[in-house]
Amino acid sequence: SLLTVCVMHISSGAPAASDSTILPFLSVAMASLSEEVLLVVKRVRQRKQDGTLYLMAERLAWGPEGKDRFTVSHLYADIRCQKISPDGKAKIQLQLVLHTGESTTFHFANESTALKDRDVAKELLQQLLPKFKKKANKELEEKNRMLQEDPVLFQLYKDLVVSQVISAEEFWANRLSLNSVEHSLSNNNKQEVGISAAFLADIRPQTDGCNGLRYNLTTDIIESIFRTYPTVKQKYAENVPHNMTEKEFWTRFFQSHYFHRDRINTGLQDIFSECAKEDEKGLKSMVTQGVKNPMVDLLSLEDKTLDEGYGTATVPTTSNSSNKSLRENSNSAIIKRFNHHSAMVLAAGLLFFFYVQQERHQILTSLFVAFQVKLQEAIEYDDLQGDSGRKTISLNLKKSDRYSHGPIPLQSQHYSTSQDIINSISIIQHEMRSYKPRLTQVMSSSAASSAITALSPGGVLMQGGGQQTINQLVPTDVQSELKHLYTAAGELLRHFWSCFPISTPFLEEKVVKMKSNLEKFQVMKLRPFQEKIQRQYLSTNLTGHLEEMLQAAYNKFQAWQTRRMMRKT
Amino acid sequence: MDEEPERAKRWEGGYERTWEVLKEDESGSLKATVEDILFQAKRKRVFEGHGQVRLGMMRHLFVIIDSSRSMEDQDLKPNRLTSTLKLMEFFVEEYFDQNPISQIGIITTKNKRAEKLTDLAGNPKKHLAALKKAVDSTCVGEPSLYNSLNCVALPSGTDIKEILVIFSSLTTCDPANIYELIKTLNALKIRVSVIGLSAEVRVCTILTRETGGSYNVILDESHFKELLMLHVKPPPASSSSECSLIRMGFPQHVIASMSDQDAKPSFSMLHLDSTGEPGLTLGGYYCPQCRAKYTELPVECKVCGLTLVSAPHLARSFHHLFPLEAFQETPLEEYEGERFCETCQGELKDKCVFTCLACKKVFCVECDLFIHDTLHCCPGCMQTDRTS
Repeated sequence: SLLTVCVMHISSGAPAASDSTILPFLSVAMASLSEEVLLVVKRVRQRKQDGTLYLMAERLAWGPEGKDRFTVSHLYADIRCQKISPDGKAKIQLQLVLHTGESTTFHFANESTALKDRDVAKELLQQLLPKFKKKANKELEEKNRMLQEDPVLFQLYKDLVVSQVISAEEFWANRLSLNSVEHSLSNNNKQEVGISAAFLADIRPQTDGCNGLRYNLTTDIIESIFRTYPTVKQKYAENVPHNMTEKEFWTRFFQSHYFHRDRINTGLQDIFSECAKEDEKGLKSMVTQGVKNPMVDLLSLEDKTLDEGYGTATVPTTSNSSNKSLRENSNSAIIKRFNHHSAMVLAAGLLFFFYVQQERHQILTSLFVAFQVKLQEAIEYDDLQGDSGRKTISLNLKKSDRYSHGPIPLQSQHYSTSQDIINSISIIQHEMRSYKPRLTQVMSSSAASSAITALSPGGVLMQGGGQQTINQLVPTDVQSELKHLYTAAGELLRHFWSCFPISTPFLEEKVVKMKSNLEKFQVMKLRPFQEKIQRQYLSTNLTGHLEEMLQAAYNKFQAWQTRRMMRKT
Repeated sequence: MDEEPERAKRWEGGYERTWEVLKEDESGSLKATVEDILFQAKRKRVFEGHGQVRLGMMRHLFVIIDSSRSMEDQDLKPNRLTSTLKLMEFFVEEYFDQNPISQIGIITTKNKRAEKLTDLAGNPKKHLAALKKAVDSTCVGEPSLYNSLNCVALPSGTDIKEILVIFSSLTTCDPANIYELIKTLNALKIRVSVIGLSAEVRVCTILTRETGGSYNVILDESHFKELLMLHVKPPPASSSSECSLIRMGFPQHVIASMSDQDAKPSFSMLHLDSTGEPGLTLGGYYCPQCRAKYTELPVECKVCGLTLVSAPHLARSFHHLFPLEAFQETPLEEYEGERFCETCQGELKDKCVFTCLACKKVFCVECDLFIHDTLHCCPGCMQTDRTS
């Protein structure tokens, strides 16, 4: 039989290669795990050998007849596309083209069922391949992209990984988890998108001058069409790219009566005529299902008119279709179409909502709650009620006057209260009022002018503005190299400090490793830099601060180690 | 003339049943009564904001700005998007002024998706730069409330406590049931407030009502500014949040000069990426835990994660916890003193005068609002302290 779904244990001798570099490569991994088998096809030949084709959850494999090992195995993620031999050819074949360019051909040799076998396999692959396409290369692509986009990161990578201070895994371990959070926001692919109710209207055809219309389709609109009308999606999958190009498909779509208002089934051999029939079926089933909400009475929404402007009256509805005028017929066709469209848009969005709520009693309780809520809303009106105000918690402060004066310092400092300052100001004010110049007791003019010079900008006592000179003393290439060292050291230190407080053995190991990484960094990167600048006769201590930071980390490590040993003894 | 006793009645009679009060003037415009209502709401806030309430001071606020097609509308000049971004710049500055130890993040939503404009950060510069750049972005498609709220709620759910949505469109295109998301937000105790630019939208009403936020729709640009500024004040803490001790570092500013023996020039950890910044400097703030250097506070240490602040930053938020007492209101006719406002020295012409209970000085309406909203201390009291 063809469609057996069973779980099989697969084992093989090929070792699994590991992802250790950022270069893309082909993975030839065969894990010894149990993988779900989705399809088994017998009598499939590969390279003139008879065998069996297996389609599993993550890979495709083929083993020769009689042996229980696989000679061919490809992950779906590695397969770029599949090709089938055209109809009418004697040999019924399926070819897989991999990302590396290699191709593998399978020949379906069962006389009676070859075509069916091949088509079933092809369709299953068609569903599975897109799922895996993005996964495998995504991580490598992501890493590559991050390195290309951010030169600082690239430099950091060079400084740390290429010079073997830390391993690539450690480098990416924290990075990816940080950035994947951010990228889930900026990576639009990951966001589920709703379907705008007016998406067909957004297509906005433009006349192209010679009696034709141009339709602009974006991927969003195409996705909306596929999600709302799954039959169109199916038609697309069946016909593109084998029978027609994408452009042809969409041209035919817009030309077909399916799309246009007058959906009269002319019986043309339109690929979309099936879609119309499917839609009819879908609509009928929705109508028979009815609405489960007792609060909604759809039947009261019929059109009942007496005459223009004369109110409503119940008119016996003529359900006899022959009595309806042509205009009524086309009106009802449009109304039916709109209703169907709205129903499909809602259904596409709320699919999983329905799946979740399939328990009958759940539906009943939720309806009951909805009923109560609706009644409540009908008899009460929020705006009329007073503002209930938010419940607030009162502040419970002991000694709140401490907040006005600030904390008492632990060291005994001479601390002037604000009252002292006020007193001293009033004393000075008093002295100023009764000031009498005593010119015999002033400083000499030379002493006064030297004091003023010292206190002017640039003077001896005003050396705060020293940063200008630093930047000029140190050459720019030395500065930029120092910056790189700072970035690298910052990264390592960040990993180090993130281990504290140390609560698990994993963190213990990590902190020991990070400490040794810091020491490696000091030896391999910092020392050579120090020696280099010494040779350049730069007198300023450029690496002093970095060493201070590293020393702070070592001290912390020391303290932790001593505490740990004291706890053990 | 006969409107005056009516107005006095409204002032004293409380603030309910405002629809009864809506009267048209001769030309059929409701403008005067609407302005009156707004003014009374402002006064009500002054009365209500009274002290001894536990507040959430270390705020994490996300602002979601609608960038859909409706933001190209020109009812706010030059168009809604430009006006909103300009007001947002002002808001960000005020926010960091009043809440120095808080953080803000900005998200935009258009074309059924949400995009992050800036990360949650405590430094206003990045946000201001991003807002200035965003003026050139196109407004297209429909916004998605679900996607933007989901973006915020997902990654760092426990930190974010507030979301402010500036919503201009009348529709939202969501991939799933937004009521489920509202339940999730409630579970994470996130408070969502909305400022509408077009009209009241039911889903926003439910969203704000369920999460305990506020929903307002703007009348014009100055009202928009007022509504935005309402969110600068720290909100009352929700009932279930516990007090926790937060570790902070208080680095001293170190100034060194080249003549010092052990002068160590160093880079600030935040200036490593930029090429234009000064670069090597001698002084700065050194983190007490890991000795990394920074040139400005408050900042979160990039290396060890410690929050570094200076004491005045914390003290700046005190006026929220210990607000100035409301002044006593007396009608002008009953007041028997000098007819001059203490602060602006203008003649007292309003209906009421306000007296500080401590120093007994009088103020006019505008000065009273200014004192309570901006100054947070009574000028009369400060003077009397000095001369005693």
